[in-house]
Amino acid sequence: MGDSQYSFSLTTFSPSGKLVQIEHALTAVGSGQTSLGIKASNGVVIATEKKLPSILVDETSVQKIQILTPNIGVVYSGMGPDSRVLVRKSRKQAEQYQLLYKEPIPVTQLVRETAAVMQEFTQSGGVRPFGVSLLVAGYDDKGPQLYQVDPSGSYFSWKASAMGKNVSNAKTFLEKRYTDDMELEDAIHTAILTLKEGFEGQISGKNIEIGVIEADRTFRVLTAAQIEDYLQEVE
Amino acid sequence: MSIFEYNGSALVAMVGKNCFAIASDRRLGVQLQTIATDFQRIFKIHDKLFLGLSGLGSDTQTLYQRLVFRHKLYQLREERDMKPETFASLVSAMLYEKRFGPYFCQPVIAGLGEDDKPFICTMDSIGAKELAKDFVVAGTASESLYGACESMFKPDMDHEELFETISQALISSVDRDCLSGWGGHVYVVTPTEVTERILKGRMD
Amino acid sequence: MSTEAMDVPKGFSFDLCRRNEMLTKKGLKSPGYLKTGTTIVGLIFENGVILGADTRATEGPIVADKNCEKIHYMAPNIYCCGAGTAADTEAVTDNISSQLKLHRYHTGRESRVVTALTLLKSHLFRYQGHVSAALVLGGVDVTGPHLHTIYPHGSTDTLPYATMGSGSLAAMAIFESEYREGLTRDEGVNLVTKAICSGIFNDLGSGSNVDVCVITKGKKEYLRNHLTPNPRTYISSKGYTFSKKTEVLLTKITPLKELVNVVQVGGDAMEE
Repeated sequence: MGDSQYSFSLTTFSPSGKLVQIEHALTAVGSGQTSLGIKASNGVVIATEKKLPSILVDETSVQKIQILTPNIGVVYSGMGPDSRVLVRKSRKQAEQYQLLYKEPIPVTQLVRETAAVMQEFTQSGGVRPFGVSLLVAGYDDKGPQLYQVDPSGSYFSWKASAMGKNVSNAKTFLEKRYTDDMELEDAIHTAILTLKEGFEGQISGKNIEIGVIEADRTFRVLTAAQIEDYLQEVE
Repeated sequence: MSIFEYNGSALVAMVGKNCFAIASDRRLGVQLQTIATDFQRIFKIHDKLFLGLSGLGSDTQTLYQRLVFRHKLYQLREERDMKPETFASLVSAMLYEKRFGPYFCQPVIAGLGEDDKPFICTMDSIGAKELAKDFVVAGTASESLYGACESMFKPDMDHEELFETISQALISSVDRDCLSGWGGHVYVVTPTEVTERILKGRMD
Repeated sequence: MSTEAMDVPKGFSFDLCRRNEMLTKKGLKSPGYLKTGTTIVGLIFENGVILGADTRATEGPIVADKNCEKIHYMAPNIYCCGAGTAADTEAVTDNISSQLKLHRYHTGRESRVVTALTLLKSHLFRYQGHVSAALVLGGVDVTGPHLHTIYPHGSTDTLPYATMGSGSLAAMAIFESEYREGLTRDEGVNLVTKAICSGIFNDLGSGSNVDVCVITKGKKEYLRNHLTPNPRTYISSKGYTFSKKTEVLLTKITPLKELVNVVQVGGDAMEE
């Protein structure tokens, strides 16, 4: 049994008031691939590394940025399979909201529902917390929004954030580059530059993913060719 | 006798220029015996959203309580008032849930939406929405209300003219319905104020 | 707690059935529901599917809605006409449309018409005809154009041209005499319009205007009120004036205050 006597039940406090499993989950996130998001004045961009375990893997079959509703997208750092469970639950939640009120779910509501699921898995019996942090990008009546949700179920709205292997470097970089009046194109460039900072190997359209949403409120994932164009611009 | 005719009711909502009016009669009866002459069938959901419920009095009040609960929870969670369209969808979903054992209620929803655009709508007792641009009616006097509104309504009335039209339509219609009447209750809502009036009508 | 308030009602609640049955036994009749009466049709043409519907909703003998929408969205490439109890057609199409959307997210592919068909018919079969929706389902997918009819009990047909609702016979009369394979788009739209008009003018449950929806590969055109053969003619341009003012017993005016925005500065951030 694990490194602590409080590992016997996954969701029991240690005497110091910590839930060890959540810390472990955060470690899993911290060793995951770097993802980041930037909220611009007229939109949001989220981006992530897409490093595959072997060159033999077909990179077109891997999609790390997912769409939750037409106007909300999400990216994760940590365990891929865990993120898929959350994506499935979130989409269903969004769809139920739509069915009940006949209007698209606001970003804050969907984030809260997703966070509620993650919280539930820190307190239920027989389960473990999710080994992922999510960055949720959306655009609704309240304008562009960027949220980060952690395994504990806590969530915050960010101007720009990063997670995964390179968090501290990426965050420092973003802190330096971020301005409140930044436009989306700038934000995309900054996102690429931030990823490039800690990138091992040659960055290309095939080993990163970028998702953007602007005032038209449709989230789109950039194609490899579009990313290549942006890569040219930042050089 | 239909269950809708047990208590008797008349409800109507009309659209004017940047305003709307919703009106009801004031009678509560048990079949042909009148029990009360100050019965409330129109409820305020928020400043610019009103709900009228025709049909069985007990179901009216139960449904109203459940809707207020859902709306308050929505307000707390989303920190905003519901749009009339959204509220209509909620009412519809709650009625359809009881598809095979319905509330004996026919709701009328009227409100000012975004940019103070008026919205009115009615439903049957299992939540089939019926959106209209001009007027909607419900209750035991609905047939005569259809006739009265069809001839008296005109587009783009101001709030005073709207009040006069809806009141006349209501009063003349309930005079031809045994089960509703005993005065009227009219709300006229503009972007700046809500005017609530009690109408004098025949007391027989 | 939050589930009760947030979730869409999952399935039906039968809480009031016992009470309602008791009331019926005491001689109080249950109410009728909003019906669509309806003429709905569909046909396959040269390179796609055309759906058509009238726009009258009835409640018994009363015309409840003169311009309602009976062509429901299912997926970007699939639409569905509904006849029967209005609430049922609306609810069943919304519900299945939602399932199709989740399915598309899952598979990353365009929905197929047979998928919609199977979901609809299994839903209707489950309720043994008590969910009274009679549907004409049409769409174009990767396997080409498809047209189906679905009966309230869950049985289905696959046809080159179809009609449903109380005006189905009137509309079918037109199709039977004039339909042929390989119609062009305009011929198709005209034939559908003619069939609906036949329903509008010969069936009392159908009336008002003609809605048409043309679906072809990768494209759809929803022609709301494509034809309005019954415009309102009896409205007075001056409107109605009232000689005597309504007698008002009590007036209460409540001014609506503008909402004040409270800006909060600082505050502790939530502990992580």
